[in-house]
Parts: sequence; C-alpha cells; structure tokens
Amino acid sequence: MAMASEPVERGAVTHPDIKSYTEVNTDILAMLSRPGKWWWILFGLSVAGIGLLAFSWGNQLINGIGLSGLNSPVGWGAYITTFVFWVGIAHSGTLISAILFLFRAKWRQSIYRAAEAMTVFGVMTAGLYPLIHLGRAWHAYWLFPYANQRMLWPNFRSPLVWDVFAVTTYFTVSSLFFILGLIPDIAAARDQSKPGTLRKAFYTATSFGWRGTDRQWHHFGTAYLFLAALATPLVLSVHSVVSWDFAMSIVPGWHATIFAPYFVAGAIFSGVAMVITLMVPIRKIFKLEKYLTVRHFDAMAKLVLLTGIIVFYAYLNEFFMAWYSAEDPERRMFWNRLFGHYWWATWIMLVCNGIIPVMLWFKRVRHSIAALFVLTLFVNIGMWFERYVIIVTSLSTEYLPFAWGVYRPSVTEMGIVIGTFGWFFFWFLLFIRLLPPVAISEIKEVLPPPMRPKKEVAR
Amino acid sequence: MSEGIKRRDFLKVLGVTGAGASLVGCSTDQVNKLIPYVVPPEEITPGVATWYASTCGECAAACGVWVKTQEGRAIKIEGNPNHPVSGGALCARGHATLQGLYDPDRLKGPMRRSGDGFEPISWDEAEALLAGELRSAGSASLFLHGATGPTLTDLVSRVANSLGGQRVEYEALSEAPLREAARIAFGRNEVPVYDLESADLILSFGADFLETWGSPVEQARGFARSSGVSEDGGKARFVFLGSRLSLTGQNADNWYPIRPGSEGVVALALAGAVARQGGDAGPYGDLVSAYSLDAAAEAAGVSLASLQELVGFLVEAQAPLVLGPGVAGQHRGATAANLAALILTAVSGGVGTTLRFAAPTGGFPSTPFADVVETISAMAAGQVRTAVLHGTNPAYTLPPASGFADAFSRVGFKVVVTPQMNETAALADLILPDRHPLEAWGDSNPRDGVWALQQPTMQPVPHFDSRAAGDVLLSVARQLGVDLGAETFHDYLRNRWSERHAALSLGGGNFSDFWREALRTGVIAAPTTTAGSVALQAPDRPLAFDPPSLDGATDGLTLLVHPSSRFGDGRGANRGWLQELPDPVAKITWHSWVEIHPDTARDRGIRKGDIVRVVSPHGEVELPVWTYPGIRADTVAIAMGGGHENTGRWADGRGVNPMLLLPSEVEQPSGALVHLATRVDVIPTGRHRRLATIEGESQTFDRPITPAVQLSEMGKEKDHYGDYGPLREFQAMGGFVPVPTEGNPEDYPLEGARYGDYDPANNARWAMAIDLDKCTGCSACITACQSENNIGVVGEDQILMGRDLHWIRMERYYETIDASAPGPLDIRFLPMLCQHCGNAPCEPVCPVYAAYHTPDGLNGQIYNRCVGTRYCANNCPYKVRVFNWYEFSDVPEPLNWQYNPDVTVRTEGVMEKCSFCVQRIRRAENRATVEGRDLLDGEVAPACQQSCPAEAIVFGNIRDPESRVAQVSKNDRTYRVLDVLINTQPAVNYLRKVTFHPVKDIHV
Repeated sequence: MAMASEPVERGAVTHPDIKSYTEVNTDILAMLSRPGKWWWILFGLSVAGIGLLAFSWGNQLINGIGLSGLNSPVGWGAYITTFVFWVGIAHSGTLISAILFLFRAKWRQSIYRAAEAMTVFGVMTAGLYPLIHLGRAWHAYWLFPYANQRMLWPNFRSPLVWDVFAVTTYFTVSSLFFILGLIPDIAAARDQSKPGTLRKAFYTATSFGWRGTDRQWHHFGTAYLFLAALATPLVLSVHSVVSWDFAMSIVPGWHATIFAPYFVAGAIFSGVAMVITLMVPIRKIFKLEKYLTVRHFDAMAKLVLLTGIIVFYAYLNEFFMAWYSAEDPERRMFWNRLFGHYWWATWIMLVCNGIIPVMLWFKRVRHSIAALFVLTLFVNIGMWFERYVIIVTSLSTEYLPFAWGVYRPSVTEMGIVIGTFGWFFFWFLLFIRLLPPVAISEIKEVLPPPMRPKKEVAR
Repeated sequence: MSEGIKRRDFLKVLGVTGAGASLVGCSTDQVNKLIPYVVPPEEITPGVATWYASTCGECAAACGVWVKTQEGRAIKIEGNPNHPVSGGALCARGHATLQGLYDPDRLKGPMRRSGDGFEPISWDEAEALLAGELRSAGSASLFLHGATGPTLTDLVSRVANSLGGQRVEYEALSEAPLREAARIAFGRNEVPVYDLESADLILSFGADFLETWGSPVEQARGFARSSGVSEDGGKARFVFLGSRLSLTGQNADNWYPIRPGSEGVVALALAGAVARQGGDAGPYGDLVSAYSLDAAAEAAGVSLASLQELVGFLVEAQAPLVLGPGVAGQHRGATAANLAALILTAVSGGVGTTLRFAAPTGGFPSTPFADVVETISAMAAGQVRTAVLHGTNPAYTLPPASGFADAFSRVGFKVVVTPQMNETAALADLILPDRHPLEAWGDSNPRDGVWALQQPTMQPVPHFDSRAAGDVLLSVARQLGVDLGAETFHDYLRNRWSERHAALSLGGGNFSDFWREALRTGVIAAPTTTAGSVALQAPDRPLAFDPPSLDGATDGLTLLVHPSSRFGDGRGANRGWLQELPDPVAKITWHSWVEIHPDTARDRGIRKGDIVRVVSPHGEVELPVWTYPGIRADTVAIAMGGGHENTGRWADGRGVNPMLLLPSEVEQPSGALVHLATRVDVIPTGRHRRLATIEGESQTFDRPITPAVQLSEMGKEKDHYGDYGPLREFQAMGGFVPVPTEGNPEDYPLEGARYGDYDPANNARWAMAIDLDKCTGCSACITACQSENNIGVVGEDQILMGRDLHWIRMERYYETIDASAPGPLDIRFLPMLCQHCGNAPCEPVCPVYAAYHTPDGLNGQIYNRCVGTRYCANNCPYKVRVFNWYEFSDVPEPLNWQYNPDVTVRTEGVMEKCSFCVQRIRRAENRATVEGRDLLDGEVAPACQQSCPAEAIVFGNIRDPESRVAQVSKNDRTYRVLDVLINTQPAVNYLRKVTFHPVKDIHV
C-alpha cells in the first residue's frame, strides 16, 4: 500500500528508521547491559570528582569558609555562580517534558527522559551550593520553617527563603514527574532482566507493580497530565525566584526588573544547550541515531537560538538601562563590567552567548551534530560566566568606591565547582546504565502501530 | 493493629528522639571547670567594672588615662577627661597598650646569656649578678634609658651617681632641634607650648602634629577646635609646607609642596615680607630682609605668587602659628629651619598668643643623639664595663652606621630591662623582664603644670615573671650598699611626692589625702608657673639657613624617613591591632612600602606593588611601591617601625627598617640625628606583590558620599530638585509613589519602612553625628572600637584577600591634590560604620532574622542566629558588614584576657558589624532604671566617640530635641551618605567638610 510512504503518518515523521516496537525495546534496553570502556572511564572520573568535592568541602567545613576566595565586598562568588548555573541547567528538563508535552510537540519523546534526569540531578547539584556557601553549614536547617519551642521562624521577606521553597518544590515535582514517567519503562526493563538478579529486584520494586493494563494506563495518563500541568508554572517560577535573589537587592547590576524573564530565558538557553551537549555523546556511544534524529537536534537548536536572542537582548537592555539611569553607580558598574578588572569574563559571556549562537541561523549548523556539540559547549561556558559576571562584577564595584574590592576564586572553590560536576555526572552515568534513558513507551506512541504484515497474495 | 499508632507510643518515640537530639545538642568537646571565688576579693564585683586612673606609657606625650578592669583584668583604656593632655581622648597607640600588656611574646622571666642563647635564672640570682657587675664596674657603668617619667629618671640618676657612672637618656624621636632653636631665639632650652586651639592660621613646615610630633592627642583636639568651622562661621586655615603630605598634611587647606630643606629660606623670606608690612623681626630684622620671596620661591620650587598669597594670609591672621619641620624633616639644617619658623611666628605676631613658654619644669630634658654618639664611642673604646639599658632599643632605632651593635658588644656586661624581647636585648648578657606600664608605678610630667601618677591597674599578668625596673634598681642599690630610703619603687615614688607636695605646697589636705586624691583623679593640679613674656633675642651663634646638602647622586630621589603614626619609632610593632590598623595615609597594613609620586613611578616604569630596591650611600632595603599623589615627584618616603628581627611574632620580618638607609650624623648645633640626609636610587627588582591595603578606589565620582561646602557659600539654599520636576508632577498626578523618602532623621524609619518590633512612639532613636570638618582621619576610633568590641585580628594574608574585620573603615578620597604646585588641598575623610538605617537593606534579606531591627531602632545583628549567607553584606550599600571567615577570636593566651566580657566573642562563619556599642547603651539604661530616672543625654558614648581626639563624633537619642546629637544634626551641613540615592534613612548624620576653595555641588 501507499500508506507507509505517506508523510502524514506520525511515526514515520519523527523516527523514520525505527521499524517495530520490539526494536525500540531491544535498542533502549540494550543500553542497560554491560557498560563499555568509556562508561567506566567517565564513571571513574566522576567518582574522582566526588572525592575532590568531599575533600574540598570537608576541608572547608573543618577549617572555615575562609578557604574560599570570597571577601568583603564580594560575598558571593563561584559557589552562587555555579548554583545558578545548575538551577538553570535544571530548567530544560521540565520545559521539554512538561511544556512540550502540553503543547504536543512531536519531537520531545526521544529526549525528554534524559532531559528530565538532567533536571533532577541538576537540582540535586544546585541544592548543594546553598549549603556549601554558608558560613555555618551545620545550621542550614534554620532556613526551613520547622516547629520549635522558641517560635523562631525564617524571614519570609528574604528572597533566600523563597529560594528554599522554590528549589525544594521544583525538586519534589520534577522528581515525581521523572519517576512517574519511568514506571512503564522500568516495567519493560523488569520483564527483560534475568530472574534472581539484583537488577530484577530493583526494577520490580521501582516499577510499582506495573502490568500495563488499560486501567493503569488510564491512571498513568491522568497523573502524567496533572503533573505536567503542575510542573509548567514551576519552570517559570523557579528561576524567577532565583533571579530575585539578585533583583530584590539594591546592588547596582542586580536591581533590575528584567531579571526574572532574563533569567528564565537564560535558564532555558543553557538547559537546552546542556541537553544537546549530553545527548550528542550518548547518541554516539549507544548508537541511538534512529531515536535522536537530526530533526530533534534542529528543534532544540532553534530553541537555543530563540532564548539566546532573548538573553542577548537582555544584556543590551541592561547596558542601556544603566546609561539611561543617569546614576553613576549603575553606569560605572556596567562600564567596569566591560572594561574593568573582570572585562575578560564579560567578553567571554558576550561572545559565547551573544555572538556564537548567531550561527544557529544557518540550517547547516543546526543540522551538523558536531557543530552543535561544540557550539553548545560554548553556550555552557558562556552561561556560567554570565552568572559570574552578574554576581562578581556587581559586588566588586558598588556604591562606595573606597570599599571596592577584587575577588579571586580559591583552589578550594575550584575543587568544589569541579567536584560537583563529578557529582552530577555520577548520577547521570548511573542513570543511563540503570534506567531507560529514552522513553520506550512514548516512542512507541509516535511510531506507526504494528500491523500484521500484508500477506502475499496467495497464488 | 488497625488503629495505627497509639498516643502512648507516639509520645515514647517523641521522647527518645528528643532525648537523643538534646544529647547531641549538648555535647561538647571541651569540659572546662568553673571555679568560683572561694574567698571573694574585695572591690571586685563580678560583672561590674572598676576603673583606675593612670598614665599611658606609649609615648612621651603621657596622656592621662582611665583603665577599665573587670574581674581583675585590664580590658579597656580610655582617655581621662580630667587630664589636660588627653582630655578624655586617646590615640590608636594608646588603645593598643593593652596588647602590649597581654602580649604573649613578653619575656617569661629573667634570662642570662648562655652561648648563643639564653638560659632562665631566678630573680635573686639576676639581681645579685647585676649588683656584682655594677660594683665591679663602678664608674665604668652606664645607664641608657628612654623617657621614663620624672621619678624613675631621678632614681636612675641617683643610682648612677652613687656609682659614679654615667646616665644617658635617648629617645629616637627627638625634638632637640626645636629646643635648640628656642634657646637661640628666646633663650629657653625647651619645647614651646603651642596653642593650636586659639590659632586662626596654622603653618606647618612638616611637623606632623596629629601623628607623632609633640602631644598628638592634645594637638588634634586643639586643631579640630580651631580648624573645624564654628557656629559663627570662623575657621582657621591650615597651610602645610612640605614635600610629603603626612596625615597632618592631608588635613591642610593649602599645600605648598616645597623642596625638602628649603623650609628655612621660605620661612625667613615670608618673615621678611611680613616684616616689610609692619611685622617686627627684632634682632633678626637684617637676617629676614636678606631673604627675598623670589629667591625663596626659586629654592622651594614654587611660584612667587603663591608665596605672596601666603604672606597675605600671615598679615591678615590675628593668631598665626608656625611649626617647623618635624622629625621626618630633620635635615642638616634642622635647627636653623626651626629657628626660622620661630622667627616667622614672632614676626607675624604669634608669640604670646599661640606660642608661649612655661617655666622650666625641673625635669630632665632628653639628651640628644650627640650624647649617644659619645656613649657609643666610649663603649667602642672599652670604657664601659657594665651597661644597663631600659626603655630604649638603640640596636633597632639607630642607623647601623652608628656602630652601636659593634660598640655594645665591647661592653663587659650588658643588661637590658624590657618587658619583651627586642633587637638590643638580643645582644645582652642579662635580660630582666620589666613590668608593663599598666602593672607598675610611675609618674609623668608631660608639660608644665601637668603631673599625673601612673598606678598598677591589675596584678602583674601571671604568665610573665616580671619586676618593675624601679624595684630592681632599688634592690640592686641596696645590695650595693646605697640606701635610697625606700624598699620598693612605690615607696620611693611616694617619698618623692611627699617632698614635692611640701615643696610646691600642692594642697589637698595632708599628704596621704593628697596622694589618694591624685590616684583617684589621675591628675595633680600643680600651679602653672607662667614664665612671663618672651621676645626674640639675638642669636649667639651663626646658622646657615640655605638648603642643606644631601648625600647620594644628584639625580636621585630625596629620601624622607618619617615616624609611623602606628608604631612611633617602632616600639608598637608587635601589636596585632596596630599592624592591622590601616595606615592613616597609605591605608596599608602589616608591611612597609615606599611612597613615590605616580608620575615619577611612571617615568621609571614602576607600578603600584612593584618591589624596588631603595639604595642610599649608606645601605639598601627592598620593599613594594605605593604610588601617592601627595608626595613631591623628587621625593620618596618610608615609614619607621618595620623590619624588626627580634621583637615578637607579629613584628619580626615584617617590612623594612628605613634607618638602614641613613647615615649616623649629628645635626649641629642641636645634636639630633639627621633624618633627611640622603638621596636614594630606586631600582625595580622585577618582582611584584599585592599590597595589604583596604583601599579600593580613592575617588567619589561625585556620588553623594563626601560632599563639602565652601566657607563663603555656607547657609545659602540650593535647589536640588530642579531636575526632579517632571517626576514630582507625575507623582502628583497619582503616578507611582514609592515609600516615603523624605523626612527628618529623628522620624526615621519613615512610615512605609517600619517593620518588625520597632516602636517609634515609646523608644529612643539612637543616632550619631560626625563632623567631617573636624575628623582628621587619625583612626583612633578604629582601634578603640576593636578594643571595646573584641574585634579580631585577621593577619596579612586575610587583608590581602580583602577580609579586614574592622567595624569602622576610615575612607579617604582625593578631591584636589597636586604635588607640582601650591594650591588648595582637599582630601576628604569619611569614617564609615554601620549607619543603623531606618530602612535597612540588610534586614529584609536575612533569611533567619539575624539582622533585624530592635525595638529601639538599632540595626541588630544576632551572632548566634547567623548562618553566614552573607546576603546582608552584599546588600549593604555602605559595606560595613564584616565576616568571620575563620575563627579569628581564637587568640594566643593571655591576649584573650583583654576581651570585653560584655561583648560576645564571635565564632567562625558569622557576620558582624558596628552595634553602636549596644552594651554601653544597655548598661546606661540599666543604671538609669536602677536609679529610677531617665537616661541622660551624653550618658552613652560609644567607644569611637569616647576616643575621638578631634571631638568629631556625637551620639545620643535624636528623637529628644534637646539632645546634643539632635542639636548638632540641625545644621545646614548635615547630610546622610547615599540616602538620596537609595533611601536607607541612616542614623549617622555627617556634617560636610568646609573648604576655603570652591567645591563641586553634590546633591545629597
């Protein structure tokens, strides 16, 4: 029949090379089998990173926060920079899985699982930083409103308390969303694993008795839709709240109304870029070309381009508003950003986030996996520096010129920042080895339904 | 069990977890024993301070002090308000005397030389040894000591006389040229009494009268009173003529960057010009007329017009005061230069008004460097068999060229009496640990008519087995068979005072009543013996006034070696507070630097922080460069006090000792050491270091930070709201109206900014007023605050990282400064402390309410609640919040004895800041409550106000319209830093500096 070649068919558009449901199961679950050399190397590096993190942080806990390079006037530095960086990374997962789900974007199925995992691990990584940067980390629980005899409550006017709620809520919802979506796929993994193994036990426990009945699918669908709707506003709220850590203060360079949309756009920009950065090697290593097609990367690249333009507009807008304010503290701070002590960081930011993504206007670039990989690496670097620039340059040249100061990150800070990358990849690598990193059931949804092959006309 | 958990089980679980949690919560690594007093000592009530009047022993100015002791420990030192020198104020060095008392590097006991090291011996052995050596030395014995107070000096003199030995008094910072000049000019071999308070024109040819010269605290008070604008608009002009702006120079209204050495010529030329306009030069008429302004302008490197302007100032002035070059400017013609300054004072009519002489006090004038040179040659010749040194450190303070170390080694038996190790003691055969002045008896006579006793304020610090020098001398004298009529120095002092009481008929009842009263008040009202008027006399010797010669290549840079306002001649170097106190001029801590004009540095390819070799014909040192626009392009300057080798953990190896660069040369005829003697070459080493400075940027960029007002513009209204018209219009039309931003400081926080428990109706509004026209930037407030509030010392590494812990930052902004030509000088100081904002940016951002508004309007900081997010510090526009990056309060024993028990000692990881000395507020409130009355105005004085020599700070309840702070703040000059920009509604009201020259109008 002519049907198979008609482009109107759903599966044929998204994944033209996948032939059957079984193939999906086989291909995806194959990723959970014996790991290759590269996985072990990466995993070893991640564990080493965690070791570095444990050592650096432990040292800092014992000897004092003074091991960081922070000072007066720059009270926040690499820690909060990396916190915001990871919260930003954590954005795309929910964006891709929840918002694109609600909008029925056809290209989300292949990438959303990994993006969601990235979200959860990103928040787990980001969540370390508020603890790490505290002078007395052992009292961090005072930021939570817990019942106590002395009736001491946190200060609900403080953006940091909002932050606590925003990040914990985001973590809770995105984890639930992640776990919920995994259930049918874990069940598939359970059904394929050998009886009596640890894996079998693990999958049995985490598939929560999934049998794939109609009733279960019905409830699953409702719950998934519900959580998607719940998670959607969080995409906007979390990073808005994080941006208010800065915008609610009176620091020149922080106190700006544009911050919430600017940060949300920046978060999606960096998050999607990070998804691309992670998916390219996964696609290569696990030979997932069938599932992650150029079309997927093209769609993500367009999202990067769009948010990149918004972010670059925000940069220009900030500079304009600083000039327009006619106040010396604002003007001079932005002048110092460009030409002061931290000029290099600002120019890294501008080039990586403003200039390089312009190349995404070209289809050839969007369709070249290698180019996208390199480009998104630049975006990741640029977005880290964006937060560094916002935080450090603003604090270092504030209102009283005599109190200006320079901050230089210390070895301990670098150890912790690098160590948390190890921490993130530790979880991410475990994830791709233990849980189906591509959504089996949802891919099947967009494949053409299995039909009995037409029998040859009997002779 | 389908009912679920039972109530009983729930409580059980709750109980167990609760107990577990509380066990964990209460556990501690250290178990300390608390031992109460078994027999409570009399006069000690735990928690209640006892105050003793005494005398500060840090410098020759001998300020009267009150020492606060609690539980038997001296914890704070403050100026004695009854004492005419200190007037209740104190300098940074005075406050730091406590760190000398509790210095962990003090000597633990007497020590005798043993090979290259020392071995401990007992006091009995030590005294017997000393007595034996003195007996055998007889007339070949030498007593070399510093300024130690009249009675101890008298005792040393008698012991020396009884042996037929020699006594030499030596202070590194000598005023001998001035004394000699006064002898030549007025026939009085003493330092004149200068009255800065009544002067209306002050000329200084270099004397740093706010730092080390003379009596800095008293002079600062006088200077602030005359140069601070008065209510009727009077203000004394201060003109500084010198090659480098010291802190004193930075306070000038006009700066004449004259060539070093040209002071004499300039002063005489000015005197000549004034004489031509009617001034009387007496016997010096011919001399002054020989010097023309033209030639002076040429010699000084300034324009003729500028000198003519100066003549105009002098002619107009009613009470002019001229000060000569200070110690830094002691060149080969220093006596002549001082004489010229005295002549100028006399010609322009200052004698009798701003300069007078008291009757000779009968004290022992410090013998100058010339005597020390003689002593050194005697020692080198082997004529000294036993030398006893006390209160002086010549191995450090003398230029090595003097050959002291070598000569000293030829003395048969060398004894050094000192509280702590120093460079001279390291060469000794016997070291006797002296008592600190706060543990010992003594007296002082800083100037005519002013006497004070020095009494022990506590038991000697038990960590150190020390004996007072006087007691040791008496004991040794007894062993030598000399009876001085007293067992102890206390008895000796009493005896001497008993005689003086009778001789001067001092009154106050019988002697023991007099004595008790003298100890109680700390001041002895001796009759001032007015010496009658003085007039210029003909000189008894010829003096050359021409610029003196300098060693070194003629294309070199003139080297200025100046005393440090933090360490004096170097004796305070082992005190963390002083090491960490930013130098009032350079704002550098912990290390030495050489000051070079930015243009000179640029010409030579040197940047700030480059390490250079400074080479003179006499020696060389290596140190980093600090570029300073306040120094002539042909001059470089290095402060004294660095480069110790053997003094203690905070001093050794820090910085360099500039005395290494100087020749050992005696100025004629005064006999002082020549300080300004040589040119140097400055050679880059190619190395660089970061300076341990707290200085960020020294310009205000016209922000509303330190506005000033021209004297002639005062009281003229300005419309600053012109630009805001459209905004006003918009708001009047119902546009966006933010929280109120305008109101009087007594109403802060304004409606709309009131949060928390603050209750303006029933409480005070604590506020401060700081008069920037009086503030001299001396930084005494910083150390006073450090002492009162248990503020830690962070060390050089931390300062390099930008982590100073001071609660007050003395900001210094260059407004107008030009070293190339005479002109107006405008350097603005801004003591920046917590502004206790009504609408505080730090409060809403703290997630745990550690920063919060107290019911009486203070901006509180609860250390125990702080988790250390540092958000408050980020959001503080004044950057006055400092963070405990480490456990800075962990100091070596017994420095912790100094801690104020009323103030929490902060742990690592918490934010801290100025509390307006809330402990003093509470103490005063409690006292008022106990006494059943209202708090009086002025009853609460924070440590900074209490200590301020310039009387620039006023504190009180601004809501009370009768309070001084409300009165002072009701002034056209009052403004609040940054308030116009960010609506913080601060409690600190600054009063603008007043200038003689036009200034930029900045909207505040």
